[in-house]
Amino acid sequence: MYLLRRAWAELANEVFVLPSRTLVLAWALALLALPLVYDDAYALRILTMTCLFAIFAASWDLLAGYTGQVNFGHALFFGAGAYTSGLMSQKLGVSPWLTIWAGAAVATLIGFLAGYLCLRLRGSYLSLATLAFPLIALGLLFAVPEFSGGELGISGLRRLATTPTQNYYVAALAMLAVVFGLWLLADSKFGIVLHAIRDDEVAARASGINTPRYKLVVFALSAAAAGFAGALFAHYIRVAGPSTLEVALSFQVVIWGIFGGVATIYGPVAAVFILYPLTEWLGSFKAVGELRLLIFAVIVLLVLLFMPRGLTPWVRDKIEAQCPRCKQRNATWRKMCRLCGAALKAEVARAQRLVGHQ
Amino acid sequence: MLRSALLACALAVAAPFALAQGTIKIAIVGPMAFVQGENHWAGAEMARDNINRAGGINVGGKKMQIELIRADTNEMQSVPDATNAVERVITRDKADFLIGGFRSEAVLAMQEVAMDYKKIFLGAGAAHSKLGINVEQNHERYKYWFRVTPVKDVDLVRTTFAVLATVAGQIRKDLGKPAPKVAILAEKAVWVEGIVAASKKNLPAMKMEVVGVWQPSAVATDVTAELSAIERAGADIVFTLLSGPVGIVVGRQMGERNMKSIAFGINVEAQKDAFWQAAAGKANYVSTLDTYAHVQMTPKTIDFVKAFESRFGKSPTYNAGSHDAIYLLKEAIEKAGTTDADKLVAVLEKISYVGAAGVIEFDKRHDPLWGPGKSTGIAVQWQDGKKVPFWPPQVPGMKQFKMPAH
Repeated sequence: MYLLRRAWAELANEVFVLPSRTLVLAWALALLALPLVYDDAYALRILTMTCLFAIFAASWDLLAGYTGQVNFGHALFFGAGAYTSGLMSQKLGVSPWLTIWAGAAVATLIGFLAGYLCLRLRGSYLSLATLAFPLIALGLLFAVPEFSGGELGISGLRRLATTPTQNYYVAALAMLAVVFGLWLLADSKFGIVLHAIRDDEVAARASGINTPRYKLVVFALSAAAAGFAGALFAHYIRVAGPSTLEVALSFQVVIWGIFGGVATIYGPVAAVFILYPLTEWLGSFKAVGELRLLIFAVIVLLVLLFMPRGLTPWVRDKIEAQCPRCKQRNATWRKMCRLCGAALKAEVARAQRLVGHQ
Repeated sequence: MLRSALLACALAVAAPFALAQGTIKIAIVGPMAFVQGENHWAGAEMARDNINRAGGINVGGKKMQIELIRADTNEMQSVPDATNAVERVITRDKADFLIGGFRSEAVLAMQEVAMDYKKIFLGAGAAHSKLGINVEQNHERYKYWFRVTPVKDVDLVRTTFAVLATVAGQIRKDLGKPAPKVAILAEKAVWVEGIVAASKKNLPAMKMEVVGVWQPSAVATDVTAELSAIERAGADIVFTLLSGPVGIVVGRQMGERNMKSIAFGINVEAQKDAFWQAAAGKANYVSTLDTYAHVQMTPKTIDFVKAFESRFGKSPTYNAGSHDAIYLLKEAIEKAGTTDADKLVAVLEKISYVGAAGVIEFDKRHDPLWGPGKSTGIAVQWQDGKKVPFWPPQVPGMKQFKMPAH
């Protein structure tokens, strides 16, 4: 009873006070409850894919959005996870429940190495260097086709679960856990350091922060999450192939990140949950089926034109406002800050407003 | 009065279901924004219209119409999109059968989804052997997969070598060279590696001398360096393995250089009707493997090609084998008297169907049997702006293979 009361108090004081957090809670609960009310296999497949790509997108945001290390070859980590897990599962006969962790571990190592190689690079030079990594990985895989399956990849992988509902829950729970974990990390002191590195690395170093070490850790953590997503993906579609390392996938994650809003974690996740099912839904219409990518591009362009910081920051600014005194966020309909009691909107007389506009 | 009204309402509600029961739903799954998907759909449309006009498919005494479902797999760009499309047509559109697929990696993933639902999937595009190996290794799960076209990758190579032997024979006869020299011109791509290795090993055994391997980019716009080296090596045959636009450049520049060697192999661009124009009319004697021409591979080939050309204004590619796949399905359903997948598998495993591209019989991997009188494909040569079929030579309608003047 005490725990229940405490949980309710936490919810009331930490979640329900902000519309954005309430929305996230509602979304998480809806995700978990969906198969109980709607177990359509096709819808569950789309949402399973969406959950897996959401992990991938969130991992990119930690690296590119928070730390400013804009990675144009993020598929490297996704593919590393997919291939490692697939190969270990198929060649060594290890359970996929274990190999997905191995996939994440190898991706972490590769992330660390990629970060090490890119330590001295900044901005567009870093992005271009990272773009090359998955292409090099593809070349290496094609060089040993007997081992890697060549251009076909490895197929017939064991699934983690058998039914569409079970597969959906594996992906949804993994997504909620990883995304929440990344968000907690980004919202911690560690995340503040990452912000500092992105905004001014020289100033951060001058303040005594060991920026190379932080960047290496972020590369490794981001790669771990992406590799985990790749491993889950490979076992879900039962194929780990060159498409997991394709340039298109690397750019797709950049689009999700920018569309949703960088340096948020939840922004790219929201973007995947909007854009992936939307593209699929458009494809189901005979009239627009083959134009769906064009429509997708127009939607992305329009959103970025009118919401240059991305979709979720725009929505958040509409439903929440920052307290001018303590900088905490409040629902826009509040007049006083929920923490410090400061007035959120100054009451300005009509005559004064007119003067202000002149 | 009330009873009549209720009856009318009941009939109105039941009518769509009655209609739905009268159709067999076939999903055509392919990259619809690409020429491969276009041909999947075109071939299927032709088959559907002809069969429906003739009354439909006889399923145990009941005539059922064919309803096609067009599913864009977007497989060239995304494997997940391809699997989603297959799931959609099976669970949402309630497709009874699937036909199509092109990119092998995507088709493997699509195959998994179709097998999960125990749906018969007739392949009409992917050549990789792995698709059939799955059937052999786990028949119970993968038995619903059958490859209608093309023949598997290993058999494509066998066809290529068989044609090369014919070309080499003509060079021996016309030029009196006992061991014709072969230059391998293969684009830089993974798919050519196995064929290049096999060529280096097998061509000497076929009394041909390999003078070298040249590998331009698949999108190269100039192959002068490669062609001059091939000329210097004194090659009689340029064995091409080209799927990209470099195929056009090779044809044009060989013509411009007035090369005496003959180009034969796989040149995807040379299979297209627009090749001659794209190569500025200079690609005389360029030869390639192909699938359809105005020759009597079977009694149905010429009629099919003529009807296709008259309806769509272009020649069919091998992906239009979806046409044969639908007729094959019709014959199997009519033999089995049911659309039950398990019963149809048993019928398909023993079927011998005369299609437009060849006679379709399946081996234990559910791959089409390769060989004369079965499925082999054909070889064509560009002669003065026309694509002229020349192999297999015993087929009625085949023309003479021509050599450049020496």
